[in-house]
Amino acid sequence: MKRVQPWLFLLPALLLLALFSLWPVGFGSFLAFTDFSLVRPTHWVGLDNFRYIFANDMFLTGIKNSLLFLLIVPFIQVGAITLAVLVNNQLHGIRFFRAAYYVPVVTTVSVVGIMWGFLFHEQGTLNYLLLKIHAVNSPVGWLSDDAIAIFAIMFVTAWRGLGWYMVMYLAGLQSIPSEMQEAARLDGASRTQVFWKITVPMLYPTIMVCTIMSVLAALKAYQEVDVLTQGGPMNSTFTALYYAYDQGLKHLKLPRGLAASLVVSLFCIAIALLCLRFLKPKHR
Amino acid sequence: MNIAQLSLIQKLNGLMLLACLVLAGASCAAQKVERVEFWTLSMKPKFTPYFQDVVRRFRVLHPDIEVEWVDFPWDILQLKLITAIASGTPPALVNLNVPWAEEYARDGLIVPVEGMIQNRAMYTKVALDDLTFNNHLYGFPHYSNVNVIAYNTSIFKAAGLTEAPRSMDEELAFARQIYARTGKAGYAPTLGKIDSFFMQQGLPIVKNGRAVFNSPEHVALVKKLADTYQAGGFLKDRLFSEDGFPAVIDAYKGGRLGMMVSAPTALRRIQIDAKEIYAVTKVAAAPLGPTQIADGGWMFLYAVPKGVDPRLYPALASFAQFLTNDANQLAFSKIAGVMPTATQALADPYFMLTPVNGGAVEMAQPIAAASMKYSHSVYVAGLEDYDEMRRVLVKAVEAGMTGKADIKTALDEAAATWNKKLQVPK
Repeated sequence: MKRVQPWLFLLPALLLLALFSLWPVGFGSFLAFTDFSLVRPTHWVGLDNFRYIFANDMFLTGIKNSLLFLLIVPFIQVGAITLAVLVNNQLHGIRFFRAAYYVPVVTTVSVVGIMWGFLFHEQGTLNYLLLKIHAVNSPVGWLSDDAIAIFAIMFVTAWRGLGWYMVMYLAGLQSIPSEMQEAARLDGASRTQVFWKITVPMLYPTIMVCTIMSVLAALKAYQEVDVLTQGGPMNSTFTALYYAYDQGLKHLKLPRGLAASLVVSLFCIAIALLCLRFLKPKHR
Repeated sequence: MNIAQLSLIQKLNGLMLLACLVLAGASCAAQKVERVEFWTLSMKPKFTPYFQDVVRRFRVLHPDIEVEWVDFPWDILQLKLITAIASGTPPALVNLNVPWAEEYARDGLIVPVEGMIQNRAMYTKVALDDLTFNNHLYGFPHYSNVNVIAYNTSIFKAAGLTEAPRSMDEELAFARQIYARTGKAGYAPTLGKIDSFFMQQGLPIVKNGRAVFNSPEHVALVKKLADTYQAGGFLKDRLFSEDGFPAVIDAYKGGRLGMMVSAPTALRRIQIDAKEIYAVTKVAAAPLGPTQIADGGWMFLYAVPKGVDPRLYPALASFAQFLTNDANQLAFSKIAGVMPTATQALADPYFMLTPVNGGAVEMAQPIAAASMKYSHSVYVAGLEDYDEMRRVLVKAVEAGMTGKADIKTALDEAAATWNKKLQVPK
């Protein structure tokens, strides 16, 4: 009975997990190998959907862009740690800044799209300021130039994510016993030494978790694409997951969308395993 | 009265009770209420009172028909509909646009309605023509639209322009002039639907099963567009997007765009959101082009999905014709700012006369109504995976216009991709 009891407690959660996660993943993976349509008989088509998506420029651009999105991970992590260290100080009004940095996280993506759309458009605020200070000669096509648009979207994604990781790091910082830092200072360590020798090593588990989370979030980016460019200009801002969404839900080509999702999932698993391998602490 | 008599009376009472029950049952069966469920596209919450009122008035006339209204946002309606058809629980009527209806008719997912419409003359000829696929009529026409040109007279004045353009060439020339004189974009054509743009200009997309959009005429048209793009005449935000209109209306409301070619509906948004811009807005008819097809025709209809019990046809036809009759179309057009497809509604003084001191919204009504006889839903029909193919074309046009590729080469490559797909047996 002792062996069965824990499983009985787990059973409701496991059933829900099986129903809403495992079953859709399993059935979705199966459908990726079929020509499933709600209105026609379904046939097994083997790798046809995968051949199709890998021969498609938009999906290949999507994979390239999803990998490009990984570039924002170090910026987000460094930025979030810096912000966390800054807002960890007990200064007057610091709570305002903590909340302010977190606002983008709770702002809905549609509002983000409208707001950054205003800032980024050809006659928008950003171009106005740049022209005013003579930093550029003509308006920059932040969202209309295919060489730039993906970076503009990456910036917005980083902006949205920064507050979330800042809070994670803030929690990590506040869990470091202050005695250790005080002891180091008493031993004559400078602030920089305390940061690098005490704070960062103690924060390492948080860094590892946050890095893996942001790597996965970067690979799965699609919402910002949807609200800012819908994959344009010249299909240059497609990400792999946006392609999956576009095919599966916007154009109702479900098997193609599922095939693309499966590829993204496999990418995510592989990269998460790599991260775990390289980021795992060598010693405790 | 002896016991035998009492027993007989009890038996007779029992029989009478049984007879009453049978009669009551038969009466119930005779007054059986039929249920018509109809789906609309993005009508809630703005048009909730209107639809509730229509349903209420219909129920007064037909107490034996129960009507249930369900509204879906446009981006999930198709998924819901296909799921409902597949699961055998389709609505009796569903609101679709013409390209969707054509695709569903091709796939056998909606049924012809010619046997259900009692009075075809109630609808305009162009509306019925747009809904006729393979010689069958596939829906009850509801509302449509047609584009007008809204132009900002302040920007026009600053650019040295006094009148609205009367042809596409003038539209492009005005756009260039506006940018040259004011630094603002002049025009924002719907290049995300370049196929319709070509067709409206009389240039075919597919001929004899081959892509033909790389002809010298197509190249010349893209060259004209490219010249205007390079000269700064076009609004560049989401210019090639499938749904670029939000960017266009935002730019117009912000005083950053000289001309907005759109349905009259958009003017109501200008009127509410940007009063200063609205005050300097004038309206003119959008150029017809060589095909004599008015830009912006996009009709919505009520179709009958496959799987609806044929016994329900009389009831659903009755409701569909009530919903789309002259009076209801006129009422809906007035509140929604759209154009009716019912003949008498379109001839109503509301669409014929411009009120004294009327603003751009009032000016737009008679102009749009006059263009309605040229209004068609322009799209390429009958191709599998069409959205994907259109993207290839849009990308080629974008590459050509933005100078990333030679126009002819880009269109040739796109045509080759199309032809490869068109050769694949379905």
